[in-house]
Amino acid sequence: MDKSSYTRFSLWILLLPFVLWLLLLILLPHVDMVSISLRERVSARNYTFSFKNYTEFFIEPLYWRTFVRTAWMSVLATLITLLIAFPVSYYIAKMMRGRLKALLFILCLIPFWVSELVRTYGWMILLRETGLLSTFLQWIGLSDQPVEMLYNDVAIMIGLVYTSMLFMVVPLVTTLDSLDDSLIEAGYDLGGSNWNVLTEIIIPHAMPGIVSGCIVVFMLSLGNYLTPILLGGKDSLWFTEQIFTQFITRFNWEQGSAFGILLLILSSLIVWAGLKLSRQSFTNVMS
Amino acid sequence: MPENSNVTFDLECRQVTKSFGDFTAVDQVSFQIPTGSFFSILGPSGCGKTTLLRMLAGFQHPDKGEILIKGKSVLGTPPNRRPVNMVFQHLALFPTMSVTGNIAYGLKRRNVKREEIRTRVADVLKRVDLPDAGDKRIDQLSGGQKQRIAIARCLVLKPDVLLLDEPLGALDLKLREQMKVELKLLQETFGTTFIYITHDQSEALVMSDQVAVMNQGRFEQVGTPQELYYHPETSFVAGFVGDSNRWEGHIDAIEGERIQIKTVEGESFVGRSIVKHQLKKGDSVEVYVRPESVNIENPKNRSDLPNQCRGEVISVLFDGARSQFLIRLPQTEGEISVAMPQTGEHAQLRKGDSINIAWAADQCLCFRRSSGNHDG
Amino acid sequence: MRRSFKKLFIAMLAVALVAVVSPVEAETLRLLTWGGYAPKEVIEQFEKETGIEVKMTKSNNEDMISKLKATGGSGFDLAQPSQDRITSAQADFDIYKPIDLSKIDASQIIPSMLAATKKNTSLDGKVYGVPHVWGTSGLVVNRKMAGQIKDYVDLCGPGLTGKVTYRLKRPTLIGFAFSMGEDPFAAYSDKAKYEMILDKVEKKLIDCKPNVKAYWSGGDAMLNLMRSGEAVAAMAWDAGGWKLNKDMADITFVAPKSGALGWIDTFALPRKTKAEEAAYKWINFVMRPEIAGKITSSAGNFTAAKGGDQYVADKLKAQFQESFPPADVDNIKWYPPVPPGLEEIEGKVLDRVKAAQ
Repeated sequence: MDKSSYTRFSLWILLLPFVLWLLLLILLPHVDMVSISLRERVSARNYTFSFKNYTEFFIEPLYWRTFVRTAWMSVLATLITLLIAFPVSYYIAKMMRGRLKALLFILCLIPFWVSELVRTYGWMILLRETGLLSTFLQWIGLSDQPVEMLYNDVAIMIGLVYTSMLFMVVPLVTTLDSLDDSLIEAGYDLGGSNWNVLTEIIIPHAMPGIVSGCIVVFMLSLGNYLTPILLGGKDSLWFTEQIFTQFITRFNWEQGSAFGILLLILSSLIVWAGLKLSRQSFTNVMS
Repeated sequence: MPENSNVTFDLECRQVTKSFGDFTAVDQVSFQIPTGSFFSILGPSGCGKTTLLRMLAGFQHPDKGEILIKGKSVLGTPPNRRPVNMVFQHLALFPTMSVTGNIAYGLKRRNVKREEIRTRVADVLKRVDLPDAGDKRIDQLSGGQKQRIAIARCLVLKPDVLLLDEPLGALDLKLREQMKVELKLLQETFGTTFIYITHDQSEALVMSDQVAVMNQGRFEQVGTPQELYYHPETSFVAGFVGDSNRWEGHIDAIEGERIQIKTVEGESFVGRSIVKHQLKKGDSVEVYVRPESVNIENPKNRSDLPNQCRGEVISVLFDGARSQFLIRLPQTEGEISVAMPQTGEHAQLRKGDSINIAWAADQCLCFRRSSGNHDG
Repeated sequence: MRRSFKKLFIAMLAVALVAVVSPVEAETLRLLTWGGYAPKEVIEQFEKETGIEVKMTKSNNEDMISKLKATGGSGFDLAQPSQDRITSAQADFDIYKPIDLSKIDASQIIPSMLAATKKNTSLDGKVYGVPHVWGTSGLVVNRKMAGQIKDYVDLCGPGLTGKVTYRLKRPTLIGFAFSMGEDPFAAYSDKAKYEMILDKVEKKLIDCKPNVKAYWSGGDAMLNLMRSGEAVAAMAWDAGGWKLNKDMADITFVAPKSGALGWIDTFALPRKTKAEEAAYKWINFVMRPEIAGKITSSAGNFTAAKGGDQYVADKLKAQFQESFPPADVDNIKWYPPVPPGLEEIEGKVLDRVKAAQ
């Protein structure tokens, strides 16, 4: 083996796990999904090529309404998460120093040491009619009968925001940390109000962090399954639940795959639109 | 108000004090700055100059004392409404905005009309000699250009006082030299009062009309650069401003302004005392002699200066205009730096040569010995 | 260079394959079943007797079909789908293997049930299932708070806003259809008729929505809602009702007027079973009356084992008799096999009910 082929060989070895991972776990299943989604069942064990599973999504209002609802709720959850996480992150990044800062950061992490299922059950214990919050409200006399706070969209929202918080706080703290204090002071020094400094200096600087946090939270919410199922009400439909139902309870892999592909395409489109709107580039945001 | 009152000071501080816990950062500092002057605060790091500047800008609030701008107290005024602006140490230009955006930022905050903003931005860019830089991003500017934009961003607001927090610190030596001159010229053309803090004496001396030397939260001396250099009032100023040879000793005798000093090493010098120090015989003193005030004697034509020594050249430190000889005094093994005359007169001296040196009593300054806070 | 790379690649592949394949040992029985159908005690006794290790995976009807569909019928050695769900899944996905009835000890099984299951699980002349556990689904009612509920449609009655719970699954559609006076089972063969019936049921279920507290999906969620009093009536399995009855006398299982829905869970062999002999041994073992009794105690439902009820606690028998007076036993509607295609129609109905505001 000469030297150049040797380096090429070692490069291959180094890349191999990544290439295999990409090929076997990402690419192949998706290719398979696309091919399954383009089948239509004619009779038992007899399939034919068709776009029916895709057209079904647009023809049957139930499906695309579910998707719109899921996307809309996810956008809302993302915005709420941002609104809550921003002050928290600003406080951690700019107001705290040293040990306290690390401690607060870890406090944000702690809920993620338990599984999502346990966290969601925690919320169920708190919010249900015979749960802690309802009992408390009755005890202090704010309500004379049990209050049901579970099984509605607000409960889903609480669950989604809670689940996503960390994924917003981390990129925000990182970008806000890198904002030089003197830029903020300069903002005030040149006559800016709190609002001016926030909108003209802090937010533009934090924009990559905001956008990357939003992308992650949006995708997580969109793809969340447990939270909407467990906390959601009798009217609540979630698109991932549709996919799950198609695959698992209807055995309709063809429809499920089509939904999966559509989710991938539509959510990518939404993220792309978000990037365009915020004038950020994907590479800039993810680096 | 300034027109019809007798106020001639742009900025006045009275007994301004600021402590952080047990540490007094600024200790009863009072000063006045006349309109349109270039005022520097010179001091070592940790002397409290940055705290003082931040109090002037409004980012910190004094524990005691009063700050007046054009005769009006600004203690109740938040930073964004004080008629002062600050050029930050690392300039703090907004990287998310263009040059124009940076300069227009303050004007927008004052609700200046769009048309006027455009003309004022163009005007100030012209005045800082960067007329075409408006559309550039901040990271496209060179160090010196950034400097000028940072100043333009403040001056476009026509502040009463411009505060500068060691803005030249990040530049390389050549550029720093050049910017010193430029800053001085800018100040003269705009006529705005500049308050400049630095730990670099050369910056302070070159640019300033007045310099305050600050140490441990207090002003040691306020004066023109010449006064500080030639007539330091405290041993700290003597040691901090310019180079000096320094000895410790005590007073042997006093005859009017002239005093006889015996150093710890055993040298005898004739020196001059600063009047306000009121030295007595037997007092411990510090003695300062500047390298450039020491004469290298011509063996054929000796002067009658009172302080005369013979020594051996142990090192020639060539640094162009700042070249020095390091000379050992044989009796005491002490060393003394002597400036190399620029005339080239003694350029032939080499290591090991013996020479006579001498200096006047006036050039040999005596201060009561302070309790060990010497710096530099 | 290329050669050595290829060798290395093959070697790595081989290592990976060995790592994946090796954990499968000959004498294990991988059981895909319902919670309670293979209690620990029974598994231990079987392992002691035969030396075959039993690995149990809890599942439900849809999950079983999905799992077996995904692997083409491998990964498990014995499954326990309900009898009505076998033939359509087999026709569509070919996931089961015919049962060799000569290896089953038929003398241990109640003949009428064996015959019924054989008939219902036959496809192209081959039998795919033998009966194991049977039970019904109907109503679980808190008699003190909602004594008026006698049939499925009563769940939609007045005064129950936010107080009832049921699943959004096919038994709900079937149950409501019966209680609305229709016969969905008879309409299985007539798609148009069936769709018409489901349309009516859909409207009813949408109208009924204000009464629904939540659509339960796991049995535990239903038990919790009933136990806490947050729900006063539910559509559920008999065993769940009796379980609650043990702790809270007011709550019990009620056979609906229009008839409880009867189901039989069977034994079926996945097409690529690796331990067929062990599977038959397990079937014959658990159909012994005393073992069947243990399973009844654990699952809360009776089995198709002859004489198995002798070994069942009197309490359960009493509960059964209370819920099922003799006339109601005759009125049980046994699920016939679901023809392919129906489930897709049902799925859309369920989706629309869920989405309706």
